[in-house]
Amino acid sequence: MTTTNSLASLEDKIAFINGQCGENDDFSMRPFHVFGRHPAVLFCFSNMVDPSMLNKDILKAVMYLPPHLANEDIPPERLEHVLVNDVLYYSLARLEKKPAKWIDGLIRGQSVLVVEGVKDAIVLETRHIEKRGIEQPATEQVIRGPREGFIEPLGTNLSLIRYRLQSPDLRINMMEIGRRTQSSVAVCYIEGLTNPDLVAEVKKRLSNIDTDIILDTGYLEQFIEDNHISPFPQVQNTERPDKVVANLAEGRVAILVDGSPLALIVPTVFSQFYQTVEDYTERFLLMSAVRMARLVALMFSLVFPSLYVAIISFNPELIPTEFAVAVAGGRAGVPFPAVVEVLIMEISMEVLREATIRLPQQVGGALSIVGVLVIGQAAVAAGFASPITVVIIALTTIGSFATPAYNAALALRLLRFPLIFMAGIFGLYGVMIGLILIANHLLSLKSFGIPYLSPLVPGIFQGLKDLLIRGPLWWMNKRPGLLQTLDSERQNPKMVTPPRKTSKDILDPNKSMDEKER
Amino acid sequence: MEKVRLSNFVKSLLVLSMIAPLLTGCWDRLEIEERAIVLGVSIDSVSQENEDDEDEVTHIKDTIPVPEGQMIRVGVQIAIPGKIPLGPGESGGGGKGGGGQTVWVIDVVGHSVDDAFMNLQQQMSSRLFFGHLRVIVVSEDLAARGMENINDYFRRNSEVRRMAWMVVSKGKAKAFMEAAPKLERVPTLYLMTTVEEAIRMGKFPKDFIGIYWSNTSKKGQEGFLPYVELKKEQNVEISGLAFFKGAKMVGVSKPLEIGAFLAIKGINPAGYRAFVKLDGTKETVMIASTHRKSKLDVRFQNGRPHFTIHIALDINLEEKMSDSLNLNDPKIIRRIEQTEAEASNRFGMEFIRKSQEFDSDIFGFGEYVRAKKPGYWNRNVRSAKKWQEIYKDASFEVITQVRVRRVGMKAR
Amino acid sequence: MEHPRSITAIQTASILVSTIIGVGVLPLPLFAVEAADSGGPLVTLVAVLLSFAGLSIITVLGMRFPHQSIVEYSEQVIGKWPAWIGSMLIIAFFAVLTSLTAREFGEVVVTSVLKKTPVEITVIVMLLLAAISTRNSIATFSYIHFFYFPLLLWPALFIVALSLKNADVLNLQPIWGNKPKDFLGGVITIAALLQGSFILTIVIPRMRRPEKAMISSLIGLTIAGGLYVIIVAATVSVFGAEEIKQLLWPTLELAKATSLPANVLERLDAAFLAVWVTAVFTTLLSSYFLTIYALRQLLRLQEHKMFAFFLLPFVFVMAMLPQNIVNMYDIIEIVGRIGLFLTIGYPALLLLVSILRGKRGKRHGESSSL
Repeated sequence: MTTTNSLASLEDKIAFINGQCGENDDFSMRPFHVFGRHPAVLFCFSNMVDPSMLNKDILKAVMYLPPHLANEDIPPERLEHVLVNDVLYYSLARLEKKPAKWIDGLIRGQSVLVVEGVKDAIVLETRHIEKRGIEQPATEQVIRGPREGFIEPLGTNLSLIRYRLQSPDLRINMMEIGRRTQSSVAVCYIEGLTNPDLVAEVKKRLSNIDTDIILDTGYLEQFIEDNHISPFPQVQNTERPDKVVANLAEGRVAILVDGSPLALIVPTVFSQFYQTVEDYTERFLLMSAVRMARLVALMFSLVFPSLYVAIISFNPELIPTEFAVAVAGGRAGVPFPAVVEVLIMEISMEVLREATIRLPQQVGGALSIVGVLVIGQAAVAAGFASPITVVIIALTTIGSFATPAYNAALALRLLRFPLIFMAGIFGLYGVMIGLILIANHLLSLKSFGIPYLSPLVPGIFQGLKDLLIRGPLWWMNKRPGLLQTLDSERQNPKMVTPPRKTSKDILDPNKSMDEKER
Repeated sequence: MEKVRLSNFVKSLLVLSMIAPLLTGCWDRLEIEERAIVLGVSIDSVSQENEDDEDEVTHIKDTIPVPEGQMIRVGVQIAIPGKIPLGPGESGGGGKGGGGQTVWVIDVVGHSVDDAFMNLQQQMSSRLFFGHLRVIVVSEDLAARGMENINDYFRRNSEVRRMAWMVVSKGKAKAFMEAAPKLERVPTLYLMTTVEEAIRMGKFPKDFIGIYWSNTSKKGQEGFLPYVELKKEQNVEISGLAFFKGAKMVGVSKPLEIGAFLAIKGINPAGYRAFVKLDGTKETVMIASTHRKSKLDVRFQNGRPHFTIHIALDINLEEKMSDSLNLNDPKIIRRIEQTEAEASNRFGMEFIRKSQEFDSDIFGFGEYVRAKKPGYWNRNVRSAKKWQEIYKDASFEVITQVRVRRVGMKAR
Repeated sequence: MEHPRSITAIQTASILVSTIIGVGVLPLPLFAVEAADSGGPLVTLVAVLLSFAGLSIITVLGMRFPHQSIVEYSEQVIGKWPAWIGSMLIIAFFAVLTSLTAREFGEVVVTSVLKKTPVEITVIVMLLLAAISTRNSIATFSYIHFFYFPLLLWPALFIVALSLKNADVLNLQPIWGNKPKDFLGGVITIAALLQGSFILTIVIPRMRRPEKAMISSLIGLTIAGGLYVIIVAATVSVFGAEEIKQLLWPTLELAKATSLPANVLERLDAAFLAVWVTAVFTTLLSSYFLTIYALRQLLRLQEHKMFAFFLLPFVFVMAMLPQNIVNMYDIIEIVGRIGLFLTIGYPALLLLVSILRGKRGKRHGESSSL
């Protein structure tokens, strides 16, 4: 291990740094003289730093001897002290002993200043990376609610969280993961609220990761989830800072990675995947109904095609006679069994959907609508599918879009294929067997020890207020019990709601009439 | 760690390979258009000379013993897929030719119901599917011969629904399969709608095949079925109740007597209309019953049951034949009530007497005795046969109370 | 070794309910009516009371030994070898019960819905489903029951509610039947359908508060027994006693005789049967879980997972033994009656001996370090 002691002279230091980074053509080395006499070199990766800042705030400062020191003679042993304390009017500068840290700093966009006669190097935070502006979160749009979404740089994302949660208790702990990428990972939680064991477990799982690249939170997710084989996501991701804050305040832990606009939230239960931020900003009665509709859509996207297959191929006695006869007519020209027909249509639908994502945005929207219309119509006209199948497939597809969480919708969308198979073999009985298998799997899943279907399944009645319906906010005095938070009370249960209970009718029309009469 | 994962993988592979053979079979998959959807079945008796029509499907003639008794002719009405269009438009699919023929009627003979169906299946490419069987028409003479075989077959077949209808036809049952009324796309559904609407209009009791079976099984009750007749425009008239004794049909009622039955049972809504002729005058008014209520009481006289039936009828006046009658007069109203009450009493008594002649307690008076007077039942009855004997000798009394509620929009 | 205590009182009750409600509900009205005609509901009620007596013996025993299951404490009470025989009999009985349940449901499915599918397939599918699910921990086992428990109640209640428009109170009278022929026999047959409640013996040692076991079993049996009585009452009132005697599975027939309002579904039998798969699954899960869990404890092993597939072939072969459906119901009746001795008689014996010998386990809350 090299230390400053072994790199005593300026030449040694230059040689060391050049040896590590000098091969790069975007690496810049700028020799100059501090105060016009002490030889010094400034190193940086030229594309990662802000050149104007480097010129104005740093080079200028160290090249000119400041006026209040003009008459003093600065011996080399005091140079270090003077430089840091008197000359560099720059907040993010520090002395660094370890040469390895210099390199670390350099590759992150910091600048390193070495001066003849100064033992340590001065590391300056000069990083400047181009970033896009804060935009609406593309995948989680709301009608009522904040419009900000995370962007790539971690610092900006953390600032978005901090300004929404202005509390000294918000803890942000950083760690670096990825042998090669050295990605900064931030673990956020609220001290005194989040269960400390949970925080410790999250940190333990994160620090156990030993892989070379972490490009996105998606990489992390796959390393920290409990069950790797399950199709169901066990970690929630979001682009919305407000969602992160709401979850932090419930006692969850958020994980952010530099370079990724998505934050992870752990632990996660299934109900989170069909809840949206908007549920809480709109009136509870309406949003409860909307949430129910979303649940119905979720079930649709899972079971509708398999139910159709089961009824058409196995139990046509269930549907009304006139309809059954008509369906038989509709299917009369179709050469395939219902299973095959549905499978073909489902697969082409998946293809279409995938194609729409890949296409440039301007073309994509047009193509998807046209594609669906054309394919549906043509399939019926060609005797390839019956009109009812097209209706079923359309309902299923639309249903799967109604689920707010893309990853959960994806899981259910894929699971409907085995269900269609089961329906093709055993009819309704098979669909039920498949559903039982899925349900049993969900019941055995856990996210950081929390049963996946909670609060429904271990039977936490407090949590049922926010499961199928969205209970009014003044109902939900407690935080979700399953998170075992240190502070369980969310709001003052004695708060008077609605306020009308205590105050009078202030603008009672009678009052103004009384006044007029007077 | 790797090892554990590997063995898990192997295990799940093993389980999968166990399940894999399941995937090869879709034993019961039968697409809806591959099924011959039977909508209606008619069962007729066969005259001797037609017996040669039989195919040798379930047995070769004179080798395997066949069931005793006469053979039957079974006709089925099968929906033709494609002829009945999907959705409401296109006015009955008549455009595409075929003259709007939406069903296909075929008939075969056989020794039993199943035998006949097997003969039929031999002539059909698609498998017969009874899941949508809505109406079973049995001809009068066959019903009189006994329905054991028919009841047994349809009860045993898991595809047949208990909400289907069984009706007894006047004359040939097959005619009902061939009839093509104009109102419905599917002829059988017309027959069914006729009966079901009759229930809703208060003209017929609920009598699905399941209820008929239940009634037949009961010790203190006999089954009854709608008795239908095909009219000249191929429309269907419900022309009475077919009385059963055990599994044999023993008689038929008149259409209005269904009203008496409904009144005695107190079934709502009420829907029958009747003339009331006020005594002393020549004035007649037409009334419609709107609500019925009945209460049953039983006493025992010399070991014979005596039933008292209290009926309460609410009626509306529908029309009158002359202007001389003033309906504003409460006395007239009272007189109408009294006359109707007497008529109803007489009518009810007559209908009960008729059922007694047939030994057929379709009202379930026996069930009432069994439920309310178990002591008497356990001592004296205990079996369906015994109750038929006792029923014959039972005495009845019908007491009707009539209330006129409304007279329509006209004041007088 | 102390196991984690994770099962709440409500979960225990739901385990009882979903274990008891199973394929037995389908022929239940037939059993009840054959015993006492219109007195069927009464027979069922008495049977429920009888099995509650049995269940309370098990519960009292379990609360006396809140840290042990019946396999473990029976050794303390009557000595190692007699207890070994007793436990072995129980294991064998529940293995047989599992196979018969699977077979019975297989027959129902093959008779009424999947007519051409071999019965072996429907049986093995149900058994596999149960076997895969028994590989979970007992906590997940209780979650599964808790999750399905509302799914069992409502379709049954729904069918009952819809069928009520065809009901006739006259069919239920007289409530004690017309000179019941075989009242006691019926009670015993129906009580045998309820003996899945024996699962409580392995649940109690994992309950968070074993002292609540009595309340749980009371609630559980009230719900399950109540449903039994309601189903019998509804079936009898719709069909009448005599008609039920003509039907193999009257409850299924009840579903067949009902249609959803507005003709959404014209008949409910296939749909009901499909939903009922969950009920049968939970029953199978319980009896199979009990079998392998008890076997694990008897052989003093750490894990019960390995038995899940190991026992499967035996159970499957046993399920295939009955020749036909008539034969199967004879066997079910005989096995059920023998089972009553095991599930009520044996615990009663244990309770008596443990009281006489003054044996009791450590109370809950005391340290269990031996």
